[in-house]
Amino acid sequence: MASSNPAGSLLKPCVKCRAQEATLDSRSQAVCRDCFTKFIAAKCIKQIGLLAKETPTPHYGQPRRFVVGLSLGPCSAALVHLLNENVDFQLARSRPAPFTITAVYVDPHPARKAEDDILEGYRQRYPRFTFKRDDDDGKLDAMLNSLPSAASRSDIVRLLTRHILLAEAVSHDAQALLLGHSTTALAELTLAETAKGRGFSLPWVMRDGVVDVVVSRPPSSSLTSSPSPNQPALLPPPKETKTKKMLIYHPLRDALRKELITYLSLVDNPPPLLTTHIHHTADNDKADKKVVSHKDLSIDEVMIRYFADVEKEYPSVVANVARTTGKLVRLLSGDSSSSQKLCGLCGAPLDESGDERWRGELGIQIQEEDHGEGEDGSGSGNKKGGVCYGCERSVRG
Amino acid sequence: MAPALCAVCKTARALIKRPKNHSKLCKTCFIEVFEDEVHHTITSSQLFFPGERVAIGASGGKDSTVLASVLKTLNERHNYGLDLVLLSIDEGIKGYRDDSLETVKRNAVQYDMPLKVVGYDELYGWTMDQVVETIGKKGNCTYCGVFRRQALDRGAKMLGIKHVVTGHNADDVAETVLMNLLRGDMARLSRSTSIVTGNNSSEVKRSKPLKYSYEKEIVLYAHHKKLDYFSTECIYSPEAFRGSARSLIKQLERVRPSAILDIVRSGEDMARLVPGESPSSCSCKGKSKAPAEVAEDDIGGCGSQNGRNPGNEMAVMDKQLRENEEHEAHEIDVAKSTPRNEGGTANKKWELPVRTAAVASKVVKGQVLGNCKRCGYMSSQDICQACTLLDGLNKNRAQIQI
Repeated sequence: MASSNPAGSLLKPCVKCRAQEATLDSRSQAVCRDCFTKFIAAKCIKQIGLLAKETPTPHYGQPRRFVVGLSLGPCSAALVHLLNENVDFQLARSRPAPFTITAVYVDPHPARKAEDDILEGYRQRYPRFTFKRDDDDGKLDAMLNSLPSAASRSDIVRLLTRHILLAEAVSHDAQALLLGHSTTALAELTLAETAKGRGFSLPWVMRDGVVDVVVSRPPSSSLTSSPSPNQPALLPPPKETKTKKMLIYHPLRDALRKELITYLSLVDNPPPLLTTHIHHTADNDKADKKVVSHKDLSIDEVMIRYFADVEKEYPSVVANVARTTGKLVRLLSGDSSSSQKLCGLCGAPLDESGDERWRGELGIQIQEEDHGEGEDGSGSGNKKGGVCYGCERSVRG
Repeated sequence: MAPALCAVCKTARALIKRPKNHSKLCKTCFIEVFEDEVHHTITSSQLFFPGERVAIGASGGKDSTVLASVLKTLNERHNYGLDLVLLSIDEGIKGYRDDSLETVKRNAVQYDMPLKVVGYDELYGWTMDQVVETIGKKGNCTYCGVFRRQALDRGAKMLGIKHVVTGHNADDVAETVLMNLLRGDMARLSRSTSIVTGNNSSEVKRSKPLKYSYEKEIVLYAHHKKLDYFSTECIYSPEAFRGSARSLIKQLERVRPSAILDIVRSGEDMARLVPGESPSSCSCKGKSKAPAEVAEDDIGGCGSQNGRNPGNEMAVMDKQLRENEEHEAHEIDVAKSTPRNEGGTANKKWELPVRTAAVASKVVKGQVLGNCKRCGYMSSQDICQACTLLDGLNKNRAQIQI
């Protein structure tokens, strides 16, 4: 890079620093490599700054404790890298490290070598952080295989992953759970959750904020010995549960996925990525997109594919989706102490008035029951079992 | 292997796999189930009262033809006591509307219903063919959409009818939900899902009895009932934002058949979550917004699959948003820094205020509804959109004549 050239002699100077050759397009501005990485870092640091205000240090001079959700894809990788940069920056100024990080990779499948190797790569690259893999030796795998479709499995994995991460955050006594969702991921999430009939719980999923985490006692049931979040799946939470509060934060909510991928390609010694990760298909490989059968697709994947195209052509539309749906309000307190019933599967408050208003149900369960059942007789007693509309759908197909 | 039997009657052979839930039904049971579901929608939403005069917005297309057929059947079967009338709008598009109007005329005979045709030329002095001649094919759907919305109401008024039902189906509603999410238009999101728009204060209320019916089932119903409908698309309809949402919905439907209904459900629920301040309420956002703004529910108005928005709308919006972002960088948002009592701002996370549905909906409907000073049609502006558009058209015409 011709960084030493005076601005006048540059072919296409960076619009920000005017000192280097612009090699990248950042939101329709021609910028240089340094300005681009600074721009992305600033997006993250701004959110981390806001988070710091939300979370007072536990003891004076002690670092905050955060748990990071790791998918081994580019966005959470970028988050870990940026957090590490932030710690480096503080330490270089002889300040104490602002936080400690435990990054948790949740894997619904039995241990696989590729993932272990990548996690080992993370440990070597970021020795200050702790990396953890959360799986349960295939018990979950068996349960997931009993679900009716790929879309159903994907929905449930997403929900359980979130539960497990929240449970990890609680058990680490963390002050916040950080998720690596990019703007693009949040826009995908918005439309995917909408398509799953989960519009009501969107504000709990999309927005930064506190959620209730149901923590049940260690195994009292004979069903399984797996940790709490894996089990409650299809059952209402057992009586002897208690709830804790956890703050969820999305520090990369202002960066597009393609920007984070570019960012990772520019930094020195980037973290390793899982190449089979779904987000890679969203990157470029168009030919790959057309061949998959819809039977094997999930709602999430349809959205990833859709937004990969929109992001390329109309990045501001993507940003606008994330921004505006981020303004939806949480209608119910979501506070289990206020006698608010929570969905036994996804944990969002049950929207009883929504169920009551809903008129589109009839006919769906015609196979199981004689038709003619009144409104919201949505199926085999699950309704009373405390599962929300979206989870009911996810479990059925 | 014995052929599969109908899941309902368990006697006839199943010939139809329902698009909505993949249950296998015989022809008779499918038709009955389809009708029962519309009946359920009508009764549970209390759409009608006995003796009510109802105008069916009839385009001759599959949706409105099925709506007319089902309403006639249900009206007789369940003694709704409705006085049903077909109301058609003649946009004045040769090779499209004149043919579909013939279909409506046959329907009127088949269903023994009176038919009223209202023409754009008599209402506005312009046919769509003339509009296109003047402004070209680009953007003409805006005119058509605005004009049609008023035309239905005015036609109903001419007949002394206060209730117009339209053939919007679940796919249309789902599409509108996704489209408004993509556009970031929360205000419209909250309006687009309700089954009834307008209320006692408005002169004409609208409802969509087929709101929960799948488009594919409507086609099946029309096919098996051998209904007479017109299936050509409007010759002027361009590619649009709506097209993007529509293709997305088709993909989702293939992954999970219930997805369309699930989106409708999400849309209904999210309508209650829209905060008081809508992002589109700022007048500085959207130069192109003025002509696209509609009086009420912005749902694919014409029989076209593509809708009424000008092409490359997404590109236009992207550009505009980018400009807004640039401007935002130069201004201080006073509203953001002052704590608002009504909504959780992005920076206020620990205590999100609990708001009731009543408050939310009240604020969203904050637009003051008045009447157009020129034509008297309800409008939130001094001059309604139709009149504004007409002004532009008439100016052009005057010049051409000189």
